Amino acid sequence: MKRLTRVISILGAVAMSASVLAGCGKTSTEPAAQTGSAESAEVAEAVSETVEAAAEAYDLSNVKLMSDGVLSVGCEVGYPPFEDFAEDGTTPIGFDVDIITEVARRLGLEVNIINTAWDGIFAGIDNNYDLVCSACTITAERQESMAFSTPYISNYQAVILKAGDTTEIKSFNDLDGMTVAVQKETTSDELISDYKSTGTIDVEIVANEKVLSCFTQLDNGEVDAVCVDSTVADGYLAKNPDKYIYAFKDEAEAEMFGIAMGLNNTALKEAVDWALAGMEADGFIEETRNYWFGQ
Amino acid sequence: MKSFLKGLIDIKNWKKRTKTTWVIVLIIIAACIVLSFLKPSEADMKSMASKEMQEMIKADEGSSRKRVTITYNSLIIVNYCSFSTSGAKEITERYVGFVGRAFQADKGFGKFAGQMVNYTYRMLGCGENILHGAKLTLFLTTASTLIGVILGTLLALGKISKNKILSKACSAYIFFFRGTPLMIQLFVIYYTLPAVFGYAWRDLFNAADNQAVYKGAFIAALIAYGLNSGAYCAEIVRAAIQSIEKGQHEAAKALGLSYSQTMRLIIIPQSVRRMVPPICNEFIMMLKDASLVFAISLMDITTISKNIMTSEISYIVFLPALVIYLIITAFFTWIFNAIEKKFSLYE
Repeated sequence: MKRLTRVISILGAVAMSASVLAGCGKTSTEPAAQTGSAESAEVAEAVSETVEAAAEAYDLSNVKLMSDGVLSVGCEVGYPPFEDFAEDGTTPIGFDVDIITEVARRLGLEVNIINTAWDGIFAGIDNNYDLVCSACTITAERQESMAFSTPYISNYQAVILKAGDTTEIKSFNDLDGMTVAVQKETTSDELISDYKSTGTIDVEIVANEKVLSCFTQLDNGEVDAVCVDSTVADGYLAKNPDKYIYAFKDEAEAEMFGIAMGLNNTALKEAVDWALAGMEADGFIEETRNYWFGQ
Repeated sequence: MKSFLKGLIDIKNWKKRTKTTWVIVLIIIAACIVLSFLKPSEADMKSMASKEMQEMIKADEGSSRKRVTITYNSLIIVNYCSFSTSGAKEITERYVGFVGRAFQADKGFGKFAGQMVNYTYRMLGCGENILHGAKLTLFLTTASTLIGVILGTLLALGKISKNKILSKACSAYIFFFRGTPLMIQLFVIYYTLPAVFGYAWRDLFNAADNQAVYKGAFIAALIAYGLNSGAYCAEIVRAAIQSIEKGQHEAAKALGLSYSQTMRLIIIPQSVRRMVPPICNEFIMMLKDASLVFAISLMDITTISKNIMTSEISYIVFLPALVIYLIITAFFTWIFNAIEKKFSLYE
């Protein structure tokens, strides 16, 4: 997925490892919070039967949040169709926004989306917000420093051509001799660079800051093809059905997107997983997916 | 003040150029006032939505998920209203209100005008708190330049002082902040320091405040920009002080003034005139460097315009951005020129 390696900038690493240290420092306050919640759990148990029957509310007494009753969400608003500002410039909209708002609603929480830069976004967990829901790929490397929810959408690498282009692309090997635009430091970038550096194919790579630039270059005839996340491609194609065509989707290798949380925050992870399971079961996730990415 | 007002009434004696400028400005202001009364009201604009859109807005009311975004922007003489749905199949209706009428603005010049109003409104940060758009840029730049000038003067005096330790310490400070990129200083102050010392910038504010994170980030930005600007201003001030002729020092000494009196009464007042142009330069640099705050989650003019570019797939957003920057720069250049004139009375 997008910007997979951006985090591995030195600063990001310093900040993140340091934030883990800061997390350790905070443990001293936890026992107090837990004993307090144990008492309230008893009270909650008494009422829980009636509440559960009414609206299957989740017992949030163990969940520690930045501010009471509010789920603070870190999100890099500016990656449509996952997250983006509506035309009024203040309302965040998008697939991730719908998902996290529904998660919060099912847990009986308010949602506060905090727009943040991608660089250092994970360093903000437990400092600036409770969790990050911003099209994050679940990787083994990231799982060492943070906890992920169950995946809520899967993504593939895709190749997009200009409408009318009849070049047949059955695998990435068919990109041989072409000029391909990718978004800088994304999985797509890594993948195509791998093909090039190993000498598998001879391809010219144009790495851009924004996905939009890749598509503009394709429009203008600067490049022959664009390699992007299939989810992002779906969004662009649904909006411009007569401008681009899907040439290839690498379905052999799926990437999973999850919601990232602090490693110590297991209670929150359980709560989010509970909400996601419910949303998967009653078709909310599928419906939202179709709404944002087309059928 | 009284004589100024008197002069204002006595039009005949105005200098010719001032008179024409004033007349033009007054005509423009009067026209704007008239036009602002004539533009359609917010309710009128919002009732323009087509039937389908009205139905969708109604459907939204009972739902936990809102699908239609209603945007209403009012910019002095024009207003803009749009209704847009989200999702893969996006429907947008746009209207521009001007001189008592609401025009449909889905294509051609209408669309362009609508976009300009919308983009300008968003980049100026209208209808939002001070941590957005042009307001943020202006506030951050002015505040950090002020901090910079004060800090810079102290640092410059420290650097040229005869106390070796003080002088070396000030030199080291200037060397450090001029020798490292502002972006990395910002990162260190916002991310590394809190992690090392175990605090969070947002803790400065109430946890229940939705804006606490942004406010915290702003404080961090202000500190980083202020410290950085201080280093640059220090060199400006030092150069200006040292450019004052030796004879001035000697004359002050001959009059029996102490070092601090010499500095306060003679040297610094004379060097101010020489400081103003480079400080104006520094200010304008700061104005443009303010866009670096995107790295710590704040949205200034540049960040907002980039954001609009991505989401609206439109590059014309940079036109209003350029105009806004030019207007701000022009205004402050004028102020700095006035300051320079005031201090060069005796030269």
